[in-house]
Amino acid sequence: MSPDSINEVSELSQDIDPQDTPNSSNELDSAVTVLNKLMSAVKQQVLGRDDVIELTIIALIADGHVLLEDFPGSGKTTLAKALGEAIVDSDPTAVRHTGVADDFIMPFRRIQFTPDLLPSDVTGVPVFDSNSNAFHFRHGPLFAHVVLADEINRTSPKVQSAMLEAMGEKQVTVDNTTYPLDELFFVIATQNPLDLVGTYPLPTPQLDRFLFKITMDHIDRQSELDVLDTYKQRRDQQQQKTTVSRDEVLSARRQIDAGVVISPAVKTALVDISRNLRDDDRVLQGNSTRSMVLMLPALQVSAALRGRNYVSAEDIELLLPRVLGHRIELAPGVVALDKVLADAMRGPMEQLARGTLS
Amino acid sequence: MTSASAKPAQHFLPTSLRAAIIASSYWVVSLSLTVVSGSIGAALGCLLACYLIDTGIDRSPLNKLRTATIILASLGLCLLGLTLASLLTNTSLLADLGSPILIFNSGEFVKWFALAGALTLALRTLAQRTSYGAVIEILFVATAFVITLSAHRNGMIHRPFFIGDFALTRGIDPSSILLAFGCAAVLSLAALLMLENNHRRLPYHFTILGLLCFSLLFYVRMFGLPTPQLTDDLGLTGQEQAGNSSQRDNPFRDSPNDAEDKEAPVAVVVFRDDYEPLNGSYYFRESAYSQFNGTMLDYTTRDDMDQDLIDHFTNARIETAQLPKAEDQRVPVRTTIGMLISHRTPFGLESPIAYENRPNPNNLRFKRTYDTYSLSPQYDFNYLLGREVGREDWSQEVWDEYLTIPDDPRYTELAQSLIGDLKPEYAEDPFAKAWSVKTYLDENGIYSLKNEHAYETDPAGSFLFGDLTGYCMHFSFAATYMFRSLGIPARVGVGYSVPASNKAGGSSLLIQAVHGHAWPEIYFRDIGWVIVDPAPQQTLVDMSTDPQNSLQQLLGDMLRNDASFDDFLQSQQDSLIDFQLILNGLYLILLTTLLTAYCVKYYRLWIPAHADLKNQYRLSYRSVLDQLSAVGLHRNFGESREQFAARASKLAPSIEKMTHQHLALALGSTEKTAYSQQQWMELRKAILREIQLNAETRKKILAGLNPFSWLLSK
Repeated sequence: MSPDSINEVSELSQDIDPQDTPNSSNELDSAVTVLNKLMSAVKQQVLGRDDVIELTIIALIADGHVLLEDFPGSGKTTLAKALGEAIVDSDPTAVRHTGVADDFIMPFRRIQFTPDLLPSDVTGVPVFDSNSNAFHFRHGPLFAHVVLADEINRTSPKVQSAMLEAMGEKQVTVDNTTYPLDELFFVIATQNPLDLVGTYPLPTPQLDRFLFKITMDHIDRQSELDVLDTYKQRRDQQQQKTTVSRDEVLSARRQIDAGVVISPAVKTALVDISRNLRDDDRVLQGNSTRSMVLMLPALQVSAALRGRNYVSAEDIELLLPRVLGHRIELAPGVVALDKVLADAMRGPMEQLARGTLS
Repeated sequence: MTSASAKPAQHFLPTSLRAAIIASSYWVVSLSLTVVSGSIGAALGCLLACYLIDTGIDRSPLNKLRTATIILASLGLCLLGLTLASLLTNTSLLADLGSPILIFNSGEFVKWFALAGALTLALRTLAQRTSYGAVIEILFVATAFVITLSAHRNGMIHRPFFIGDFALTRGIDPSSILLAFGCAAVLSLAALLMLENNHRRLPYHFTILGLLCFSLLFYVRMFGLPTPQLTDDLGLTGQEQAGNSSQRDNPFRDSPNDAEDKEAPVAVVVFRDDYEPLNGSYYFRESAYSQFNGTMLDYTTRDDMDQDLIDHFTNARIETAQLPKAEDQRVPVRTTIGMLISHRTPFGLESPIAYENRPNPNNLRFKRTYDTYSLSPQYDFNYLLGREVGREDWSQEVWDEYLTIPDDPRYTELAQSLIGDLKPEYAEDPFAKAWSVKTYLDENGIYSLKNEHAYETDPAGSFLFGDLTGYCMHFSFAATYMFRSLGIPARVGVGYSVPASNKAGGSSLLIQAVHGHAWPEIYFRDIGWVIVDPAPQQTLVDMSTDPQNSLQQLLGDMLRNDASFDDFLQSQQDSLIDFQLILNGLYLILLTTLLTAYCVKYYRLWIPAHADLKNQYRLSYRSVLDQLSAVGLHRNFGESREQFAARASKLAPSIEKMTHQHLALALGSTEKTAYSQQQWMELRKAILREIQLNAETRKKILAGLNPFSWLLSK
């Protein structure tokens, strides 16, 4: 092929290309701008983890929670903190809670889970105020936009169940009084995959509350070098970060929900994959229907991030392993989760692809 | 659990295919060796063994045994089965209880079941455990097919007849069936070979091979094969040389009745009149050795000898110069003879008096067809007693010729000693004398195809005064010499002798190579030439043949060329499937498939330019996919459109853009179409141009020709 002809072809394809993202409305564009801003803010702080950052932001917008499985010192806290600090309250003084002015929502809270932690340590506790001669609720660390639940498997089931309510219902109940959490409540939980002595492994229902379980590998050599090189710079530049407001995040969530189409074929594929998994002999327990429901907004966000206004097979391929990985229980002796998932996906994905031509 | 259960299921198809192929080779081998029950037994035994080895390998105790143990065990099983089978058939109690046919059939079943089962067990075990085992297995299957086919080499009608007969009765060229057979063998072997390897691409390879074989068949049907040279070399005694070489071969040296080809058909005789010989055999005389040439008897060179023989074919009727006598003791019999191999002179049922050429109903099958008019004897031997020998109009020279023997006094001595025991009233009776000579040979001679006299100067003498072991030539020469030494004019008749039972109640009689014969004859004054054939009581060789009733009837009907043969053909064609029709149907289907495929291909290329905007995303994209799959790029199973587009973008970069547009409309909302008709067309043309620029020339040529490429785009 001659170089001239290449040019000719590429020129021609430019000619006939009026816009890169077909049908994308301006609303969706602004949502994507918010996402990109958020992403670049986190990427400034966390190097070499672009895939994890993307997944975390997808979960944030899709109103899910994330379980990170990683070794200590791999940047989990940095990620959570960067994400929390990138979201600022548009009106910091606004009182959105129980009428108590001192308890406004923090952008970011971190809870280090230990065996002796009590539920009230995370939810908050009613304190007797001798001035007013009454109890008033002192908010716990759960009242934040981004909560880092570090080593969540180290704490007792009692605390874990308190977390469960908070994550599932977006509310905490103390002394029969229910306190709602903020609409933007996002939990990044971590657990160490190796150091399991004296831990309380999370039960399946609790795992089901997490949208994604992300297993992180060590970052590559160049990124690690970059981390060391830019450590001081990043520490000193704390103040000049790009931020997005809480309301922008919430409106992006609504815009994506309204603007990204999930075709019936995609839903069919999801249901068929679930059914395949449940029928598979290698799977002891398949995934829940809820997992599919939770996955839909995540798929939409993923599509929007890629400049599409429709959910495609690409999104399913990216998210399905993260969504289902911790939800299905394999039969004893079966270890190849990837293979099980790939087998279950092949048929429905083929149907999805073929369906576009008919 | 899953991996264990998944494995056999995954291998089920190839395993059963292999089992079916091996079983079919057993079937083919057993067809000519046993009855149907035996064939079924062989196939079942093979399938069972295959099942044991292949499916049960994970569970059965077999895999814990050593290879040598399994081989020995299968040998033991084979012996056990054979013993059981012989017990079944040889126990008279069982035969009394059930019907003998049933017992025989079950015996065959058990025998072949055991044989095939044990052999397969050993073969499969070797194939699975050793590197050379698979080769042995494939060789076995190949041999099975080759053995069956080799019987039909050169287009001969030969054992086993079933394929040739099957084709002939239906008006099909047997070569088609044989070719189909060969193709099936090729496919089976190829499948076996492929089973040894990765079998994911097996259907693909198989289709290609099938197409190749089919096109070969098609070619042969269209243009035919070179006509095979029908060989005359059936190992007959001196009769079959087509050339008129005057140099006669030594009849003792050219191994008559070659055991290998002993069942080869030589001629077929249709009896127009009913006739049963008294001595149990039909004799067909072709010529005679009557003149002693110094070393042995030979065809006569004198015109006044053997005037009852005819030594050439004519196109019209020809009668013998000399008629047999005692016509009241003979019946006129007309026979029609069709020679399947060439003969130098015509032969006819004893005693032939006239030959008449007949139109040949089937030039491919019959070398020559003619009618023979015979005066066949109906006298018994008592009638011969007290008769005088020799013909009254023979000259002294002729008399001398018929009495000349080798210069060996032992013939006379032995003959004289043999007639010494005759009762006084028969002491001078020629027939009684001859009978005692015959009786001596009957009682003392040993019939054998192997003998040590062939290179003696006088093989007959070597036979008679030696071990008395030889075949018809030795017996007839020895008898003739002794008859002559007793003053009885005699000669050696040459031709065929067929047991009367072979006629099996029908009117046609098949002459096979094994029936080639020579016998001594004596001339009685009032009767003519009379056959006095020694029949040795001891025989070292089994010269019996299986009756070939169906072939006999088939050839007879063909020779008779009357309506019944056509009826027979008709009935065969009516009762079974019409192969010609099926074949034509197949060609039609093939042609229609090709045409339809091309139509669909070009329709899919043409339609986007004529569809409305609403369907452009679908039709344009499909036509582009067709173009890509034509040059060998198609989406794999389970692969998403985006992945495929990324893969294909190396060849045609614009495909990614088109995929994006396509999916936006297919999975997004179809109402809003961003592209205009014009843009779709330009994008489509851009991709086609990219394919034209980047694809290999070879692939582009194939893309134009392949009618089925669109099947791959999905």
